[in-house]
Amino acid sequence: MKSIVLSVIGLTVSGVLLGVMPAFAQSEMMTDQHIARIKTNCEVARATLGQIHANDAPAYINRNQTYFSVSDKLMARLNSRLAFSRYNTTDLVKTASDYSDTLAKFRTAYKSYDDLMSDAVHTDCIREPVGFYDKVASVRDARQNVHDLAVQLTNLISQYHDQVQAFESKNFSSTGGKS
Amino acid sequence: MNESEPVVEPIAPKPWYRKELVLFIATSLVIALALVLVSMALYASSGAAQLDLSRPGYKSVQSELDQSDNFEGFPATGAVNKDTLDKFQQLYDKQTKLVTDTDVFSPSVLDDSALGLDDVTASNQ
Repeated sequence: MKSIVLSVIGLTVSGVLLGVMPAFAQSEMMTDQHIARIKTNCEVARATLGQIHANDAPAYINRNQTYFSVSDKLMARLNSRLAFSRYNTTDLVKTASDYSDTLAKFRTAYKSYDDLMSDAVHTDCIREPVGFYDKVASVRDARQNVHDLAVQLTNLISQYHDQVQAFESKNFSSTGGKS
Repeated sequence: MNESEPVVEPIAPKPWYRKELVLFIATSLVIALALVLVSMALYASSGAAQLDLSRPGYKSVQSELDQSDNFEGFPATGAVNKDTLDKFQQLYDKQTKLVTDTDVFSPSVLDDSALGLDDVTASNQ
């Protein structure tokens, strides 16, 4: 019983230290001039973040809608039609599946980014300049993740396009295929 | 009869429903509050909040929303031939043209220097 209690305390302390250490390390590295600069400029930075946050929302909604329509109204329907005509659609199905998975990750990543951004925008940067700076760094990482997933989706869109072209040239190059 | 004795008024019995009514209203309020909390939690956790531009602060960007979702898509049934696939490619290119720019959600807009949060003394050294 005693060892279990000690283990729990040990785990809790190490967890707290692991959570605190990176922020502590970062704040320790910051000079007084840097902190003063953050305090001076942070209200403008917060306003800029708020504007970026507001502009991101319609961009995300429009993209999410288009991404979904590509998956639901184009890829899935062509795959279904080709499979019904007994063509081999393994590559196309694989790409469509990867696309759906990446779209789900994109939505999750954007939600995480949106939450972090809201938190940063509502931080009192005059009282907590270092905390605000760390939050902006987290938002930047989250936005990078969203950006990377958007690029992955673009690559999968191109990949599917190329696969359809290859399928067409393989099956309908000069003579008509089965219908 | 002594006039200085206090007159004891008979206590009127409370209506039988008073206790039940209070309990009923209190329970209703608790249930309503619980349902509101559950729905707010679902609203926040499901990602619906990110699609809601009626939130405060988003009124100015509501006009940027593409309201015309009249894209019919590609028919899921029918013959498969070269014409069909050409038509698919046309539809596909038209629809994907809207989302193939790769500079979307670029993290560079959040750079320290862009926000004025960079360490000027460190960069000057």
